[in-house]
Parts: sequence; structure tokens; C-alpha cells
Amino acid sequence: MAVTRRDVLLGATATAALMPLAARADTPDVAIGIIYPFSGSSAQIGVDAKNAFETAADIINKNYDFDLPLARGEGLPGLGGAKVRLVYADHQADPQTGRAEAERLITQEKVCAVVGTYQSAVAVTVSQTCERYQVPFMSADNSSPSLHRRGLKYYFRAAPHDEMFSKAMFDFFDDMKKKGTKIDTLSLFHEDTIFGTDSANAQLKLAKERGYKVVADIKYRANSPSLSAEVQQLKAANADVLMPSSYTTDGILLIKTMSELGYKPPMIVAQDAGFSEQALYDAVGDKLEGVISRGSFSLDLAQKRPMVGKINAMFKQRSGKDFNDYSSRQFMGLIVIADAINRAKSTDGDKIREALVATDMPGDVTIMPWSRVKFDSMGQNEFADPVLLQYVGKKFVTIFPKQAAIADAMWPMK
Amino acid sequence: MTAETIIQSLASGLLMGLLYGLIAAGLALIFGLMDVVNFAHGEFLMVAMYATFFLFSFFALDPLLSAPLVAAALFVFGALIYLLVIRFAMRTKANAGMVQIFSTFGLAIVMRGLAQYFFTPDYRSITHSWLGGKTVSIAGVFLPVPQLAGAAVSIAAFAALYFFIHSTDFGRALEATREDAGAVALVGIDKNRVFALGWGLGAALVGLAGAIMAIFFYVYPDVGASFALIAYVTVALGGFGSVFGAFAAGIIVGLVEAMTALILPPSLKAVGIYAVYLLVVFIRPRGLFGSL
Repeated sequence: MAVTRRDVLLGATATAALMPLAARADTPDVAIGIIYPFSGSSAQIGVDAKNAFETAADIINKNYDFDLPLARGEGLPGLGGAKVRLVYADHQADPQTGRAEAERLITQEKVCAVVGTYQSAVAVTVSQTCERYQVPFMSADNSSPSLHRRGLKYYFRAAPHDEMFSKAMFDFFDDMKKKGTKIDTLSLFHEDTIFGTDSANAQLKLAKERGYKVVADIKYRANSPSLSAEVQQLKAANADVLMPSSYTTDGILLIKTMSELGYKPPMIVAQDAGFSEQALYDAVGDKLEGVISRGSFSLDLAQKRPMVGKINAMFKQRSGKDFNDYSSRQFMGLIVIADAINRAKSTDGDKIREALVATDMPGDVTIMPWSRVKFDSMGQNEFADPVLLQYVGKKFVTIFPKQAAIADAMWPMK
Repeated sequence: MTAETIIQSLASGLLMGLLYGLIAAGLALIFGLMDVVNFAHGEFLMVAMYATFFLFSFFALDPLLSAPLVAAALFVFGALIYLLVIRFAMRTKANAGMVQIFSTFGLAIVMRGLAQYFFTPDYRSITHSWLGGKTVSIAGVFLPVPQLAGAAVSIAAFAALYFFIHSTDFGRALEATREDAGAVALVGIDKNRVFALGWGLGAALVGLAGAIMAIFFYVYPDVGASFALIAYVTVALGGFGSVFGAFAAGIIVGLVEAMTALILPPSLKAVGIYAVYLLVVFIRPRGLFGSL
């Protein structure tokens, strides 16, 4: 068979086209487990989380000119440019399913790290499973303070926990009191799983320390068909500030029931969760003008750090939504763990753990208002400064702390 | 605890209870007719709520106007479910009870999954309607208008049902089929037709409840689960198979739930319901109005 010039050209082109593929085969993908609720009552959280993680993986795997770890260049340079591959698992908001799925991710899918989980109750079992297999667990968006105090070696949380969040709320109350606002009594309203319970415990402790009177402390059953009895007790207590710790469903029902029963507190300061979700504001936003929620993220940051706006635009293209408190923490969770894997130059659990312990990331290379990412001996990042956001004119503005605030708080709410 | 709080609790409990009764009515009807517990009952409610929501978002139809449409649509849906699924599940000779449980349970999972796939798991609400957010206040006791409407619809539906079962030919056919499905075939009543209409009627009742609930409750694929659980307790408390037992038991469940929340921490308010249920099981195992 005569070899023509065209054949040679074709062959050369084909070889050239195949070259990157061959090169890629030499550096296997780095599998990271992503465990979220993709079905059940908080499935929407999982859907949004997936978009946040895909955005982060996209930034890691492709070349972007952002001042964010791993954005420049493709893949993980420490592992020869290996790409990050995300393996999803659905824990259905159930701790036992979470345990089983974490085990499957580690033993079957061979992931070298796990990121999760939204519900703190599920983070308990997932992190225990990771500990047993010595695989690092990044608690991206769980906020229960008890999580990092269990003596686990493979547990890491870059974001703030509820005591830090609650402390910011009480700092804010002290600040407002100094300015002459009447804040003496508080009503706590919290759901009955680990998130609500831990949050209320932190708030009770702080209220006692700082001399605020808790006139109602109502623990309710999550996903209740009716909250009218609970709201009546809140109404009877009539505190200066109502402090709910509720997921989206209960948050919507709470606000609707409050308006039905004619209860309007001077101010609501919410422990995030449902009060960061667009669905809640779509449903009852008209009754929430002026509500304050704590957060670990604020789009206002884009004014100072343009990268935040650009990454938000990438996320919005996938999800149709802006980054919120959850999706931003999920995004950062993957960046922080990928950065550690890159520095570990290995997919070995112990080496990644060592790299995580050595993490020291300045705040301005993140998309968060944090001063830095540096883990203490329990795996908690104590430098993750929370912010308070107020819902004014259909969007959130940062009102506290002073260094991040772009507006003064409106008090009372409308 | 003031008198006002107690009256407010009783009023809220009564309104919620009438709604619980309406939700449970369809379940009781179907069970009474053919001894099948419909484990997809909560998902029927979910479908009705989504139907109301979509009629509102696409045609700006107020839930009050769409309620009859949704009930009619659910009637067709219920009858189809019987003809396409339940009819075959009932044909099995061995372990019929299990087959029925699994088929309705499977139906529930399929419906939930489809809803999540097509409607996304996001929480939807009807933002403005004629009744939504309105409240009447009598001497410091607040009565939300949507729940008042729900209570009125519930009472009207039960009255209509009573008339229907006791005074029409079809109602009598329903009763006869319930008593002896084999014998009715001999007098020329088509068992399948009666069962299909029974399923349609049961679904239409829950459709009515769903349309009203969409005014004040959020909608998402799992919304039926917590209401279905209460519906099962209501039916068991009222007596399996007794439609009017469900009415009375619904009111009892609503009142007990409201009163429990006054005495115990609200996270334990379901305890009262189950305690009453347990008591009834001990003293009168067939339920308050059960005839089985």
C-alpha cells in the first residue's frame, strides 16, 4: 500500500489529537466524594450544591485568571495536572443513609476526600465513617458547634459554626443597644434536630452572659404540618427580637402563621438555613422586609474583590441563582480541600490530612469575608468571620461587622 | 396561660382538625370500599397541590376557582390509578395484602420521583390569592381566612358525601359492593366500575383538600408525607372504613394536637395524638366508629 502525503498528514493529525488524551491517562483523576441530599424534603439544597461544586471543579480543572488557589493552570499541578472528578452520593437527609453512602464512596468509588453535608445530623455519621477509613472530611456548610469537638482527626471546617454566628448576633445587639435601641428580651424558635438544638444552646448561653432575657424558648418538630400553637406562644411572649433556627419549609410556615395570627415582632434575627433560601423569600418575602440573617457570605464583597462577582456569574449561569450562604461555603469547601490535595501531592488520606493541618490561606484569595483559612487542633477555622445581612428592597445588604458593612441596620423591621 | 391562649388554641386546632378530616376522608372511603390502604395518599395530596399551583401560575386561576377543577382532575386520576395499577394488584391470589401494600407504596415513590424530576424539589407557594394572608379577628382570637374556607369546604364535602352514600343509587351500589363484592356481581353491578368510581371519589376529596391547602401551605414533592401520616392515624382512630369516623377523628386529632402543644413542649405535640390513639386501641380496637 502506497503511503500518500495525505495519509501521513491524517496520521499526524490523529496522533496530535490523541496526545492530550494519552497524557491524561497517565495522570489519573482525583476522585472527591460529594455527599448531599439529592432527594427528600431538602433536595433543592443538593441541586444547588451540585452547581456550586461543578463551578469550583471547573475553575480547578480549567485555566482561569482568578486570585484563587488552583484557578490558574489546569488541574492539580502537585499531581501532574490531574483533574478533579466529583462523585455524588445522596444521603436523603438521613444520618443512617449518610453513613452507608460515605462508606460506599470510600470503599467502592475510592474517593480520597469527602465534602458534605448540609444537615449537621448527617455530618455526624459521615464524619465518623471518614474517620474510620482515615479519609479527610470537609464540613463545607454544617454549622453545629459540637461537630468539631468530638476529637476527630480527619474532620475539617473552613466556615464558621453557630457559636461564632450567634456571637456576631449578640455583638450586634450590644452595638445597637449602645445606640439606644431597646433590646431586652429574646424569643428562641428552633427545630428539634442537632442544628436547631445546638444553635439554641449557643444563643441561650450568650443571652445569659450578656444579660438578655429569653422570654420564650420554643423547640418544635421539624416539617410540622402546623405551627399555630408554637406561634401563639411566641406572640404571648412578645420579645424584642425573634431568633428562628429553621430550615426552609418550617421558615415559610412560621412566617405565614405569624401573619395569620397577627404577630409581628420588632425584629427577626435568623440563624441562616431557610432564611438564606430564595424559595422562602419567593413565598413570604413581602412579610420579611428588614429581616436580619447571619451569613458567611455576602455578594457586597464583589465591590471590593471583583473575582467574587465573576465567579458568582459563572455559578448563576449554571443554577440561575446568585451565590447564597450555602452555595458559597460549598464552593469554598471544595477549593480548600483540593488545595490541600495539591500540596499533599498525593491522594493518601494521611498526607492530605497533614496538608490540611498546614493550610494557611489568606482571606483575600477566597470568595468569603474571612480573614484567613487556618485550622486549629480540632479542625475548625477560627478565622472565618461571619457577617449579618439585612433583607432590604428584595436583596441582602451587609450591616455588621463594621469593617464589612455597607449600610446601617434598619430597626425595627417593616 | 390565659383564657385567650386556650381559646385561640382550640380554634386553630378545630380548623386544622376539619382539614385533617377532609384529607383522611378519601383514605377511609377507599379502605372501607375494598380493604386497600392507599400508601400513595399523601402523594395524591401533593399532585392536587401542584395542580392548584400550576393553574395559578399559568392561568392566574385563584385556588377557590380551581378547587372544583382540581377535584375533577383528581377524580379522573384516581379512577385511572385503579384501572391501571390497583385492579391488577388485587388479582393476585397469594399474599394479596402484601402485593397491595407494595403496589401503592411503589406508586408513592414513583409519584414523588416524577414530581422531583419534572417540578424540581424547590418549594413553591401561591403568592397572592383572594383569601391568602387574610385573617378575621374576633375578640382577640385570630382565625385565618384560608383555614376557615378549608373548614367550610370540609363540612360541605362531608355533608355531600353523606347525602351521596345514603340517598343515591350509586351510593347504595357502593355500600353493597363494600359488603359483598361477589354478590353484587350477581345483581348486575360491575364491581370494577364501582371500585374505579370509589377511587375517583376518594382522590377527588383529597384533591379538594389539596386545592385549599395550596393557599396557605408550601408545595414540594415530599409535602404529602407528614399529612399522610396524620391521615393514617385519623382513619385508624375513627375506625377503618368509616368515612364519618374520619370526620370526627380529624377534629379530635386537631384539638388534641393543639392542646398538647399548650401543655408539653411543642416538639412533643404529636405525643398527644398517639396517646389518644393508643388509648382507643386498648379500649376499642376497631376505632371510635369502626364497624369491622
